[in-house]
Amino acid sequence: MRLSFYPGCSLEGMANDYARSIDAVFKDLGIELVEIEDWSCCGATAAHSLNQAMSVVLPARNLAAAEKMELDIVSPCAMCFNRLRFSQNMIKKKVFDIPWPVTGDIRIHDMTRFLAEPPMIKSIKERILKPLNGLRVVCYYGCQMVRPPKITGYTDYENPQTIDRIVAAAGAKVIDWSYKATCCGASIGIARREIGESLTKRILQKARQAGAEAIVVSCPLCQSNLDMIQKDRSDRPIPVFYFAELLRLSFEEHANPKWFKMHFTDPVPLLKAKRLL
Amino acid sequence: MQTSNIFLNRMGLLLYFRVLPRINFNGEMMQNIISGLDQSHEHDSGKERKLIGDRGYYFLNRMQGETGVDISACYQCERCTNACPVSHFMDIKPHQAIRYVQLGWREDLLKSSTIWICLSCEMCSTYCPNDVDVAEIINHLRNMAAYSSITPKEKSLAVFHQTFLEVLQKSGRVNEFRLMNAYYSKPDILKERVKQGILIEDLLLGMTLLRKGRLKLFTPRSRAIKEIKKIYSQTRGEIA
Ligand code: SF4
Ligand code: SF4
Repeated sequence: MRLSFYPGCSLEGMANDYARSIDAVFKDLGIELVEIEDWSCCGATAAHSLNQAMSVVLPARNLAAAEKMELDIVSPCAMCFNRLRFSQNMIKKKVFDIPWPVTGDIRIHDMTRFLAEPPMIKSIKERILKPLNGLRVVCYYGCQMVRPPKITGYTDYENPQTIDRIVAAAGAKVIDWSYKATCCGASIGIARREIGESLTKRILQKARQAGAEAIVVSCPLCQSNLDMIQKDRSDRPIPVFYFAELLRLSFEEHANPKWFKMHFTDPVPLLKAKRLL
Repeated sequence: MQTSNIFLNRMGLLLYFRVLPRINFNGEMMQNIISGLDQSHEHDSGKERKLIGDRGYYFLNRMQGETGVDISACYQCERCTNACPVSHFMDIKPHQAIRYVQLGWREDLLKSSTIWICLSCEMCSTYCPNDVDVAEIINHLRNMAAYSSITPKEKSLAVFHQTFLEVLQKSGRVNEFRLMNAYYSKPDILKERVKQGILIEDLLLGMTLLRKGRLKLFTPRSRAIKEIKKIYSQTRGEIA
């Protein structure tokens, strides 16, 4: 199977570890990811906040490139996924002039939902060498992946299940909790720190109350928000994994602790205690 | 008996529709309902009275046309505000913002902190019983503010968005290192950070990120720069 891959800017920088895990996991699953040729930024929050035309045109450029390749898109970043889908909607409505030939007929997958389809779960289960037995996690989805449902197509937007299913297939114990889709503040913490902290701290506190040892996410910004806030080490540390990191961990017999170097909250002690490293 | 009932009914309706609206306190009453719990708001003074006029109707129509949202459907149930994770940081709450649009109070909205604090998390739109896309309306107001000459109330947030777009049109992709550099090079931002005493802390965080390999100094650019610049210059809004 071949898919076009739209990594997004974060995966080149802050979420480099996510990108590497995705590469490894998809290679193991035998799915070829073809990076979209000369992709450009989707515009994120800034584009739709200040310049709505840009927020349609920027993702449209990548859609056009993927249409040329005739491959469905899979996006690992929640924000990119949301913006691509939004742009696709607007292209169909023909509100803005797009300077590239684009029809918007291509399918855009969110990476977790793509992997959570029953056939994919089956092939994940077949490749597991080291199940994550005994690891108690909560899954955190954030906003952009599930909302607004009209754009993202999630029907279970209050209690999404995609990451839950993937991580459960890898053998971890998934705990139910109520803060799955509560906003982490996105980039607001950069300019208004107290607002960002009030949101991330509550999510972490609720995860601890639920009895989780780790949080599993799929969005680069959620990961860095939830991870970096713990740098003061005031409470029980709770590592924040990308789901792809956990999959990679379970796919390989001998995992390398160096993968987790980029984390602020070091997950190595936890993984060692669970005999997963 | 019956005739007197009908008479009373008529009188009641007359009082309600014809007399009450002409009595002066009506405008103030309206404002009290709107500003509701948020007593800190400047409209509560009661001295300056704002009325709904033709312009309110015009603004409402314009917003409905441009966003495609049926704003008149809002019945002020406050569900949007209750769902909003940052409503307590806003000066005009999301449900009030909708009411303000209905009344045509454009300047108040563009001057508010609300439009910059909003995270576009879409909680409000998802849970509105009347399908009012509150997030889209606030986003549209933010766009309007960017095109207007009004100084944003949350300047640091507005400047961050602006910086993001500047970096984006320079390299086609956004590198976090370049973004943060550009953001801190804005004179107002640097001054503010120094004043708050968090500059050193930020620098240390940056160092740690570099050491951990999370900040990359150089990442590939996209060839799209020229095209993006062109679209940007055709359509841009600027922060005053
Ligand atoms: S939830 Fe909808 S109907 Fe209720 S106050 Fe908000 S916008 Fe109005
Ligand atoms: S989109 Fe904005 S107004 Fe709506 S709930 Fe989120 S932060 Fe609040």
